[in-house]
Amino acid sequence: MISIPAGVLANEKTANAVASNLSSIINQTGATINQTLTQIDCSLAPSFSGFGFTPPSGGTGTYRSGGYGGSGSGSSGFTPGQFGGGTVGGYFGGGAFNGGQANPMNETLYSDINNTLSGVAAVEPVLQASEGNNVTRNLDFNGYSRTITTLDVTYTIEGVPLTSDLANYMNEILPTNVTAGSNLQVGNSGDVLLSENNSAYFGAGVGDSVNILGQSFTVVGIYSPSSVSDTQMLYMNLSDAQAVTNNTGYITSLTVFAQNSGDVSTIASEISALHPELTVTTAQDRETALSNEESGYTTELANAKASDNQTNSTAIEEIVVVVLATSLIVLFVMLYTVKERTKEIGTLKAIGFSNSTVMGQFMLEGILLSVIAGVVGIAIGMVAAPTIAQYLLPPVGGGARLPTGAVVISGTARFGGLAVATLTPELVLLGFGVAILLGTIGSLYPAWRAAKIRPAEAMRYE
Amino acid sequence: MSKTALQSANPVPPPGKPVLQLENLTKTYTLGKHDVPALSNLNLTVNAGEFVAIMGPSGSGKTTLLNVIGCIDKPTKGKVLLDGIDATALPENQLYKIRRDKMGFIFQTFNLLPYLNARENVELPMEGQGKSKSEQKQRASELLAMVGLSGREEHRPQRLSAGEQQRVAIARALANNPAIILADEPTGNLDSQNKQGIIKLLANLNLTQGTTIIMVTHDSQAARNTERMLLLKDGKIAKEMQGLHANKKNQICPHCGSRIQIKDEICPACKKPVYASDDLF
Repeated sequence: MISIPAGVLANEKTANAVASNLSSIINQTGATINQTLTQIDCSLAPSFSGFGFTPPSGGTGTYRSGGYGGSGSGSSGFTPGQFGGGTVGGYFGGGAFNGGQANPMNETLYSDINNTLSGVAAVEPVLQASEGNNVTRNLDFNGYSRTITTLDVTYTIEGVPLTSDLANYMNEILPTNVTAGSNLQVGNSGDVLLSENNSAYFGAGVGDSVNILGQSFTVVGIYSPSSVSDTQMLYMNLSDAQAVTNNTGYITSLTVFAQNSGDVSTIASEISALHPELTVTTAQDRETALSNEESGYTTELANAKASDNQTNSTAIEEIVVVVLATSLIVLFVMLYTVKERTKEIGTLKAIGFSNSTVMGQFMLEGILLSVIAGVVGIAIGMVAAPTIAQYLLPPVGGGARLPTGAVVISGTARFGGLAVATLTPELVLLGFGVAILLGTIGSLYPAWRAAKIRPAEAMRYE
Repeated sequence: MSKTALQSANPVPPPGKPVLQLENLTKTYTLGKHDVPALSNLNLTVNAGEFVAIMGPSGSGKTTLLNVIGCIDKPTKGKVLLDGIDATALPENQLYKIRRDKMGFIFQTFNLLPYLNARENVELPMEGQGKSKSEQKQRASELLAMVGLSGREEHRPQRLSAGEQQRVAIARALANNPAIILADEPTGNLDSQNKQGIIKLLANLNLTQGTTIIMVTHDSQAARNTERMLLLKDGKIAKEMQGLHANKKNQICPHCGSRIQIKDEICPACKKPVYASDDLF
């Protein structure tokens, strides 16, 4: 019986963990919807062949997120970093959320977008590459644990074009909230803009030089990330990024800006027609995808809450049944005992025991019986509570929280259908309390019956 | 509390003084529409130190009488004076004290608690009296020695013979130094040898300790070895006879009438057993 409240507590803990994970993700997705309407993102569908920063010849080691929902297709196509797998995967990580690796694109192949399509205001090529370590870690989630391998991203290089267009698209391609020093300027080379996290990681402030992949860069400014997904992003000139990551001539995405927002869908379909291999994402798509994700999370959150409620109501039903059954068992056992011991009770009263002494004696026996049962029950519960609770209660599952910037490579961080019930000292005390209470209730009537036995029955008893 | 203080708190009336007086005792059971009289206008006085047998056919009211004397049943009419206290006037929640302090019960089926040893069974009636555990233990051991069970204090009932169990029960009945021992067919479940032993033990207690004993029995031979035999019929005392124990008490041989001493088992003059136990049991 003790397993039921233990299971309830475990499920509640799970549901709370899931809810807190999901709530923070929902907050993050909400923050990323604020984007320019004229922006069209183009990239190749990511592959899944490996992670980490080991650029193949002419390629990059960048990665992008997979979409929420378990497809792992990596097709969300958001501007890298804005909804990177490094973050979402980390927060709600698991096999279902594995990020994919963006394929490098040959920059020259896509010059036709700017040259042939009308209504295009600008094309901003971007190269994104992440540096990180593979880490094997133990995940603990409500008492269950397993080992998974993650890529812990230490920093992500975002190479952006610092051309004469920069003034027009500053807010779209560079962070807006620079808290120290200055933002990157047109034509900057050998300079880098660090996030606050980067700054802490490198131990460098404005004016210091940092070593990135063997090359020295000067920190011109430090920005405060607008969302958790930006925290590991450092910005530099595209050409510097290409050089330092050995990706000259290659990019990972193109950000196309339409001259006016009415042309966005036309231009998007023209890009798709020119380059069918590209995944083209408009603000509309982003919003739809984001709201899908958001509703996905919301549904998941509602499910977690619903199954937690289900747990509670099931537990209450079961506890009512158990309490009733226990009281009845004590009642019948004690009634039987009283009947069996009629002669003894009569004798005790004949030799001068008062009714209240006899009643107290039987109450004490009933309570003692319950305490022994309580000890045995708690001992069993200590060992068997997780198993019993799983059989008795509906499960609540959820994703374990990974550190920011950790992407699951193998294994899953998602724990489904689990409720590891463990007995806390409070539950043990509660168990004893309930045992004594039930023993008292169940013994009351039998003890009263015992007190009413006439001593004359001891005389007649054969 | 010292032993002396205890005894003065619960004194046994001196020999010859009435310890039990029944005045116009009437008990009527109602069975459906019929009133069945069990006792009708019964008068009886038992003096301290008497050994009384109550006999009678089934349905004569023996058990009812014993229950009323033992404060287990209330009479319809009349008074029960125990050691001067009117038990019929006492409320239910006071009667247990009378049973505890003034009565000692001996049952046909011994009624020892099977999970307690001999000594603990004897200690039971003392529990409510505020005696210390060591006092209880000492008194229980003394009583067990008195009934001939020295060295068997730690034995549980199932390891004792029927006769030994009844001895434990007698020791238990004596625990609180009661004014009256009430015995309900104490020999009913015993073989003839044990029967003799128990009757002799009761008779000896009566002789040496002055214990007042009222014994209900079917067994005429057991009854003949008491001092005073009462024959109950239709709820009244129909006949009263003197038993052999009276002779012993009066120090007269029941066979030849010569003087004997209380300690004598065999008459020094005619050499016959004083209790005539061989032909009686």
